[in-house]
Amino acid sequence: MRKRILAFCTRTVLLGIVTMACTPDKKMTITEQDMVISWAEMTLYITQFTPANSPTYASRAVGYIGLTMYESVVAGYPDYQSLTGQLHDMPTLDVPEPGKEYNWPLSFNAAQATILRGIYNQTSDENKGKIDSLEMHFEKYFAGQANGKDEVERSIAYGRSIASTIFEWSKSDGGHRGYLKNFDKEFEHLVRPGAWKPPLYSQSVSHHPLHPYWGENRTFLKENFNLPLPQMIPYDTLPDSPYYQQFLSVYETDLGLTQEQKEIAIWWGDDPDETFTPPGHSFYLATLAVKKEKPGLIKCAETYARVGLAVADAFINCWKWKYHFFSERPNTYIPQFIDPEWVSFWPDPPFPAFPSGHAIQAAASTTVLADMYGEKFAFTDSSHVGRPRDEIRDVDFKARSFTTFWGVAQETADSRFYGGIHTPQDNNIGLEEGARIAGNVNKLIWKKSGNAIQ
Amino acid sequence: MQFNNPLIRLVKCTLFLLVFPGMVLPSQSQTPFVDITEQAGIDHQFVVFEGMFGGGACVFDLDNDGYEDVFITSGMNEDVLYRNNGDGTFSNIFEGSGLEVTRHYVTQGVAGADVNRDGFVDLYITTITTKDSVKVIPREKNLFFLNNGDNTFRDATSEYGLDKFNSFSTGASFGDVNADGYPDLYVGNYFLAYEGQLSVISDATIVGANQTSRDYLLLNDGGKGFVDGYEDYGLDHKGFGFGGVFTDYDNDGDQDLIVNNDFGYKAIPNYLLENQFPKNSFIDRTEELEMDLKINAMGTAIGDYNSDGFLDYYVTNIRINWFMARKGKQEPFTNQLKQTGLSNVPTAISWGANFADFDHDGDQDLFVANGDLNPNCVPMANFYFENDKNRFQEKGRAMGVADYGLGRGSVVFDMDNDGDQDLLMVNQNPTMDYPVESTTRLYRNDAANGNWLKVQLIGTHAETHGIGSRVTLIAGDLRMIREIDGGGSSHLSQNSTIAHFGLGTLTTIDSVVVTWTGGKKQVVTNQSVNQTIKIQETEDKPRRFPIAGAFIVLAIALAFFMLKKRK
Repeated sequence: MRKRILAFCTRTVLLGIVTMACTPDKKMTITEQDMVISWAEMTLYITQFTPANSPTYASRAVGYIGLTMYESVVAGYPDYQSLTGQLHDMPTLDVPEPGKEYNWPLSFNAAQATILRGIYNQTSDENKGKIDSLEMHFEKYFAGQANGKDEVERSIAYGRSIASTIFEWSKSDGGHRGYLKNFDKEFEHLVRPGAWKPPLYSQSVSHHPLHPYWGENRTFLKENFNLPLPQMIPYDTLPDSPYYQQFLSVYETDLGLTQEQKEIAIWWGDDPDETFTPPGHSFYLATLAVKKEKPGLIKCAETYARVGLAVADAFINCWKWKYHFFSERPNTYIPQFIDPEWVSFWPDPPFPAFPSGHAIQAAASTTVLADMYGEKFAFTDSSHVGRPRDEIRDVDFKARSFTTFWGVAQETADSRFYGGIHTPQDNNIGLEEGARIAGNVNKLIWKKSGNAIQ
Repeated sequence: MQFNNPLIRLVKCTLFLLVFPGMVLPSQSQTPFVDITEQAGIDHQFVVFEGMFGGGACVFDLDNDGYEDVFITSGMNEDVLYRNNGDGTFSNIFEGSGLEVTRHYVTQGVAGADVNRDGFVDLYITTITTKDSVKVIPREKNLFFLNNGDNTFRDATSEYGLDKFNSFSTGASFGDVNADGYPDLYVGNYFLAYEGQLSVISDATIVGANQTSRDYLLLNDGGKGFVDGYEDYGLDHKGFGFGGVFTDYDNDGDQDLIVNNDFGYKAIPNYLLENQFPKNSFIDRTEELEMDLKINAMGTAIGDYNSDGFLDYYVTNIRINWFMARKGKQEPFTNQLKQTGLSNVPTAISWGANFADFDHDGDQDLFVANGDLNPNCVPMANFYFENDKNRFQEKGRAMGVADYGLGRGSVVFDMDNDGDQDLLMVNQNPTMDYPVESTTRLYRNDAANGNWLKVQLIGTHAETHGIGSRVTLIAGDLRMIREIDGGGSSHLSQNSTIAHFGLGTLTTIDSVVVTWTGGKKQVVTNQSVNQTIKIQETEDKPRRFPIAGAFIVLAIALAFFMLKKRK
């Protein structure tokens, strides 16, 4: 709890700085990128500080929030087009009145506030207040740049309409208010050798697995709805069997964990009780790309939209497969067949293992980012810098640097292996499938004239 | 579903028998502990509301007839009040006892003390929700019953100001933090507690409900009511609480507090709070004494395994328990699990634990109740650690107490008044199919073959049954201490309030020292063995402490005043 409060304070301070930096002082200018980034940070803040936070719900949240970013401004960019008609049952969205001028940052701002209030309806009044003030803050600034009161009102109304339509559509995807049923007490656990068992060294208070029916949710892309089942190595207990070897490698790696491997394991932990979750981490990567490249408003929005869609679809598929295979964690297998005393470095999350959710969503987000910004991309991830050190494990939160996007995906996957909670096959299949799901997102036709498939 | 398939069930049971042979056979004719559950008329099973929570027993003498009775919570089942018939059997007199109101509640733990000082033990029963109405957020008031002295109770929850506490409570413990003779309560809360019923329930309140909670420190207001003194005593932590236990860890005569918290590695860890009596506050000594166990702490058993005069604490957990022992006043606690042999057992999930000298050889043995986390249903046997020269050896099977039920709270008491400590453990109903019976067990101790002494306290200023006081027995070089359990020296349960000592071949006791709550000492000398002695608190001159304190305060104030005046 102390940690949480500290992290909370750090975050509050950070947000405060962002807000202060863009106080509508006459000399101060707020760029469109500043606004986009502030909203992305608000999404992460709300995600982290809303109780009953889960990676599943967070993946869905960034999906709709990213999509709303894009749809609330796309009409202002003649080269680009809406995703209506390309996404699964997506309704037709409002179009601007012909011949009328719009201020697109105002539309964007109103849309973000609206979608956040909808998707995070369950957040505290205090957090809702933060959304309201951020909205007011940018509204004041960009209204000053718009061409008259009518344009201001028109732009705000347009943004709200886009966000409301998207929010209404979201209600039918199977994940609406999913935070109310994180752990289904009626769900009957499959019992067979190799089946998942509720963890003893657990991240979660619940002994029921998280969102067992999430895999039935509507994906954003039709192409991502009926993907073929990945292959899983069959259960075996013989020491020379491939199955046993998977767990043996987890065990052996754990025995010789280096300090850096431990740092990696905690860095990517992204526990929903304490952080913005792995999908939030992906949204943060989008921010890093936007901060470095400073693209125009539409490309900023497209970045978050692509990451959001890729991550959300990755999670739905991942969860479908997790509950299809209902596979055990190393903490179940290793004590039974390798070392009865063994326990993983990092506590188990409350859901089955195969494939890794961390791996699949990291592969998905980095695949879309590489498509937009090029695979070679040097940056430093400092999302957890400043968190109090992990005293139980004697490890600090140290910034991670990368030269390629895929480096992030690989390290995210590896982190679960070092944590002792995923086998190599959980990670490898996760990475493979995540890249495939993101490939479909990359194939969406974002530009009207352009041929999106290179 | 799969596990309901009879074939699979059969295969599972067969497998189970192969893995744990002998376990379900009619037990090895003569074990030192004899399962007398059925013959004693005990028929009880705790049924969970959801998940893993609950199941405790409180040993108390309902009618002061010298035979200790037991109240056991039952969760979704009906609670039981077992009156000890004095002939080795019990009768459930719940119906007509005035406790029937608990039928509407999902009960969890229980503790007893003489709250209004009328000589009879009253009961405080923790609950998590009501049974008959489905609540979006499961919370309820805990229940308080005054003992009428005629085998009946009356519900005094509202009268004592306890109806506004709307909580998901686990363990409760009576102690006397301000040594006023009126027992106070520490109550563990697992999920966020509310004051009063929630009027509006939104998505935000629902998702906020499963957050960690503050506990309650309910101060007894002259036997007439309770007021929450949590903040007043300087407490501010919020955890997944499994309750606490009052104990005088620093031997200064007042009641300190150990708080058990689940998920200590994620939320807040265990707490050790030093009572600043006569000041009304606790000081947090957790970190300096290294008691910040970051584990899934379920309960704490108090004992002094090596009779060195410093109390030791066995803390139950998931997989591996902790044994926090201390060698001297200046030292922090260290985990002595390996050094004492307590680690030489299979991994288990432990709940109740009780120190007692079961075999009467002059040192404390340890019983540990084990059970899986419902709905997980892997059978695991209880532990019985025999103390042999300060090293423990696990002998659960041989002693006959290695029950494989889903164990939770456990208590020790002398059910047949033969001088030794018998054992009762509460078992949960497994929510999935289970290869053996999982019902509450009562074991008669036939293992003891040394001398013994039992000491029953009668407080005239202190709590009437001595809760919050301690008994030290001195015989030659041997010096043994026992604290009177006000609940919590186990899991959600309360042991007998009669102090028990095993004495081996000793035949005389030099002295028995009672340290009454607050620090006043009283000595009786030259006692013979194999008897229960009653020690009534002497009505001597009022305690000097407040007067001495007042003098010091006056002196300081005077000095301060003079200094100021000089300037």
